Amino acid sequence: MKLSSHKRAHKRQITLEMTSMIDVVFLLLIFFIVTASFTKTERDLDAVTKVNEKSSAASETDLEPAIVLLANVDGSWVYQIGTNNLTTFAELEEVLNQFPNKEDGAFVRAPDAAPYGMAAAAIQACKNAEFPGVSYVPLTPQ
Amino acid sequence: MKLSKKRVRHTKGMDITPMIDIVFLLLIFFITVSQVSETNREKLELPNLKGAKDQKKTSLVVNINKAGEIVVAGNPLQLADVAFLVSNELQSNGGDPSLVTVVVRIDQNATCETPNALVKQLASQGISKVRLAVQVPN
Repeated sequence: MKLSSHKRAHKRQITLEMTSMIDVVFLLLIFFIVTASFTKTERDLDAVTKVNEKSSAASETDLEPAIVLLANVDGSWVYQIGTNNLTTFAELEEVLNQFPNKEDGAFVRAPDAAPYGMAAAAIQACKNAEFPGVSYVPLTPQ
Repeated sequence: MKLSKKRVRHTKGMDITPMIDIVFLLLIFFITVSQVSETNREKLELPNLKGAKDQKKTSLVVNINKAGEIVVAGNPLQLADVAFLVSNELQSNGGDPSLVTVVVRIDQNATCETPNALVKQLASQGISKVRLAVQVPN
């Protein structure tokens, strides 16, 4: 027994109107493509801040700890370790790598007028030289 | 006069299913990667350094631009306002400074004046460990 005719079944085909949906989807796609901004990867430099650090006398060994001072010498900023004035990041990294006492950590002392980029580079150089702790010492005139 | 009894429907439509698949895939990709919620990160020129640690969940992101202005969540603030925000964070973490992670994003062309004042303020509130954001070079 035939319950439904072939003709009847053929007429029941449902067609989904997708034009408007595609319009909206394309609009959203173009919006996100235009507004997307790909940011560069950020990482952290963790440093301990020593605000009341008057001197580096808290050393556990007889050797002096590494103190990187940002100093203005003849109008240009340099990294100063002891009496050595270092102008580039590579030089600083080399000196810090050869530093005999790494146990007491390193101190980066930055005056207010110093460029922050150099202070960050000094902290990075100390981290690269595998000092166990790097302290940031702000030098503000009293 | 009716010429044909039955109207034959020639619906040879283009199959758009794969196109819709790709369009949806692209749409989902762009929705996922677009950073709508990252309003607390200002567009700054961070130092191009490799850093020491990957960024983790942070309590507060403080931006310092080239001019030395402090910007938090898009609003320019004074040092006292930052101190207030930090004390709120401390209160919500039971007063334990070790639970408060402050990330400081500083433009590499800025001077150390504002960062120095900020780290002193944070240290006075018990937060002696700051995270300085750097941009990993390509």
